[in-house]
Amino acid sequence: MGGRALAGGAGTGVEHQRLQGQLAALSDQFAAANEVLSAVGRSAGDPDKVLATVVESARRLCRSQAAQLYVLEGGYYRLIKVVGMSDEAIQYLAEHPIPVDRGTMVGRAGLDRTTQQIDDVLADPDYNRQDLQRVAGFRTTMGAPMLIDDEVVGALAVWRNEVSPFDQREQNLVTAFAGQAAMAVNSVKLVQQLEARGAELARKVGELEALREVGEAVNSSLDVTKVLSTIAKHAVRISATDGGSIMEYDQDQRCFLVRSVYQTAPRVIERLRTTRIHLDETLVGRAAKLGRPLAVPDLGAADLDPHLAVLYEAGWRSLVAVPLLREGQILGSLVVRRKRPGEFSAETLTLLEMFADQSTLALLNAQLFRELKQRSAELEVASRHKSEFLASMSHELRTPLNAVLGFSEVLLERMFGELNERQEEYLRDIHGSGKHLLELLNEILDLSKVEAGRMELEYSTFPLRRLLDNTASMLRERASVHGIELRVEIGPGIDEVYADELRLKQVVLNLMTNAVKFTGDGGTVVVRATRSGAEVHIAVTDNGRGVPPEDRERIFESFQQGGRGPSQEEGTGLGLTLSRRIVELLGGRMWLESEVGVGSTFGFSLRSREDEPRLDAARSVGAVVVIEDDRPSLDLITAYLSGAALRVTVAGDGQSGLDAVRRVRPAAVLLDIRLPGIDGWAVLQALKAEPGTRDIPVIVVSIVDERARGAALGAAAYLVKPVSRDALLHALTAVGAVADDKGEDQ
Amino acid sequence: MNPGRILVVEDNPKNLKLVRDVLQFSGYEVIEATSGEDGVRLAASEEPDLILMDLQLPGIDGAEALRRIRSGERTREVPVVAVTAFAMDHDRERAFASGFTGYVEKPISIRRLPQQIKDFLRLGGAT
Repeated sequence: MGGRALAGGAGTGVEHQRLQGQLAALSDQFAAANEVLSAVGRSAGDPDKVLATVVESARRLCRSQAAQLYVLEGGYYRLIKVVGMSDEAIQYLAEHPIPVDRGTMVGRAGLDRTTQQIDDVLADPDYNRQDLQRVAGFRTTMGAPMLIDDEVVGALAVWRNEVSPFDQREQNLVTAFAGQAAMAVNSVKLVQQLEARGAELARKVGELEALREVGEAVNSSLDVTKVLSTIAKHAVRISATDGGSIMEYDQDQRCFLVRSVYQTAPRVIERLRTTRIHLDETLVGRAAKLGRPLAVPDLGAADLDPHLAVLYEAGWRSLVAVPLLREGQILGSLVVRRKRPGEFSAETLTLLEMFADQSTLALLNAQLFRELKQRSAELEVASRHKSEFLASMSHELRTPLNAVLGFSEVLLERMFGELNERQEEYLRDIHGSGKHLLELLNEILDLSKVEAGRMELEYSTFPLRRLLDNTASMLRERASVHGIELRVEIGPGIDEVYADELRLKQVVLNLMTNAVKFTGDGGTVVVRATRSGAEVHIAVTDNGRGVPPEDRERIFESFQQGGRGPSQEEGTGLGLTLSRRIVELLGGRMWLESEVGVGSTFGFSLRSREDEPRLDAARSVGAVVVIEDDRPSLDLITAYLSGAALRVTVAGDGQSGLDAVRRVRPAAVLLDIRLPGIDGWAVLQALKAEPGTRDIPVIVVSIVDERARGAALGAAAYLVKPVSRDALLHALTAVGAVADDKGEDQ
Repeated sequence: MNPGRILVVEDNPKNLKLVRDVLQFSGYEVIEATSGEDGVRLAASEEPDLILMDLQLPGIDGAEALRRIRSGERTREVPVVAVTAFAMDHDRERAFASGFTGYVEKPISIRRLPQQIKDFLRLGGAT
């Protein structure tokens, strides 16, 4: 209680002097207040400047050595602004703050809520901060509380280093300054509060941003495993926990199955996967049934279900189980956990719930996708089984058919005697029906091959005109019987095409056969090839009765002949289906344009010749050109060569054979003699006459044995059909097209 | 003059009869076997000039019968022609890989069979 209340000034001397002094004091005070106000006004936007001005002005106007501004925080006065103190003293004060008690000037001013002074701290019995006094060296000190709404928020203090009490004027000044400082501090607090709120907002925005990012990551995959592990990982991240797991709910077993685990020991993962997490017996189940997150702040104090027991044993101490729900249905559960016990904030639970919502949708999508994939895999297997069944069935059917065709042929050949007219007619019927059945079987087999992905295409380059002409000539006789005109029209710029010649022919033959079949007597069938950009279009147009719109898609399905009217003969009902599939396999597409009563056009596209990769002029090692027109022989040769690491180019006649050899410059040529167009002898002569092809060895493979002639024309070897695999490979090795044991190459 | 002795291995009796009748008509002598085991046995005891072997047989299949024929001292060189209804390309390739001299595709052509046999016999003689 040593603080003496300040009484009036030193009332001595003449009245005039007193008045003069008062005037000076008033004007000082006015100047001070003015200065404070103007400082505050200048730095209105910056409370820190206001406080600095306050401290500085207080020290100067109170004629003291030091001034300090404190704020009250956590029971201590903390120095926030100071002038006139040594760094050492400031440091000391920071380390030894002033408590709220009567041991200091500041403490007393706050407790009494009045401005007061201690004339000499060394003489005051209650003063107890001699330690500070020794460091700072003050003797007389005055303090004023900073009050906001009658609450002490801090204090302003000034001191003198000698014993020299402050007068009333100075007391008033300090009080006024303390008031200003309180306002400034208050505004700082408000700003800080605002800033804190802003930071909170920023944090919220950050969380939402994270949530969005997570949602995006989770939704960007349809792979269930990946989605689940992403969810687990991000859930742990946004909840700032140490690990987590995610479970899918199995409705049949009423159990949660752990699918993905994040930051957990492998041994524990294994145990989690094998633990039965039942809907009715676990915390995870309870959270799912309640439809909200359930937290366990301390596993050590909780009832442990089997799942929690595993976690507790593994050292986990707290967790939250968040159900994954969709329209009331339980899809799974998300569990995040910590290694230490502790509450989970409401914000964390809300965040996890929001996150679970997002994750559920992603999980649902991924689950549906997985199911779809499974179904389509099953369908694929079923389809393959069907194809295999068809393949083996058609094969089984061929065996008895073999006998039907064979025996009827034997009789028709009159191997065992003459036939009467009726017998011959019936035998032709038997044979014809057998043939038809065989055709059907072949198409079923082809179709099943296409569908099983087992139709192998043999690409070669050949003139389109030859194929179309050949096909047309196969039908000419049949067409002429019905007075049907058959025309082939090839547009400009179409020469060679690159495709499987036999398969392409099969398609064209099918379309033309259909056209002839469904065109009335005296009609016209035109096959037209036109160029369309990089493609060649081949279209077969008839002027039959046309296909009604409702049948235009159905007609491509198996065993559907559509409403094309009565045909002149039976078909297999598979031709169009197969044709379209072959065209698709060749990289094209098939279409139908039709008008009832006017006619139909079945067209398809084909990649043009330019798509074929060109070869360098240099002779290709390991390439063989096979010039052969007979399909079985070709099959045999390509089968023989299939194991020999050779690239085989096939040509079906002499001219395209020549072209192929010129283009490919193979290591060897296999040449048949009986060929449509220019025959094998002419091909051989031409090859040997040209400098570019002269040195390419030619192996003649023929049914006719004219070795001498072959040798005379320059054939490297001569094989008579049927050729064995060994003989063929031996010949190819001898000419150097196939590497022999010494590894020699041409 | 006897143009040759042909062993036909075929389990379907009607097809066996057909091939037999056609070959006999063309003047060949025909030995019949209805299983792979029979075929291997007859190949050794009868020493045919050519064997026509169905690929799908009860018991040991055509490929196994061929392997046994090829490992027999007296039957090592005999041409063996596969009669195949395997229309799948890879099956046919497999047949060739197992070492058949050639193949005849089912249904066999009555008109072409005698000529095909003649060609294969010539090939067998040449190697």
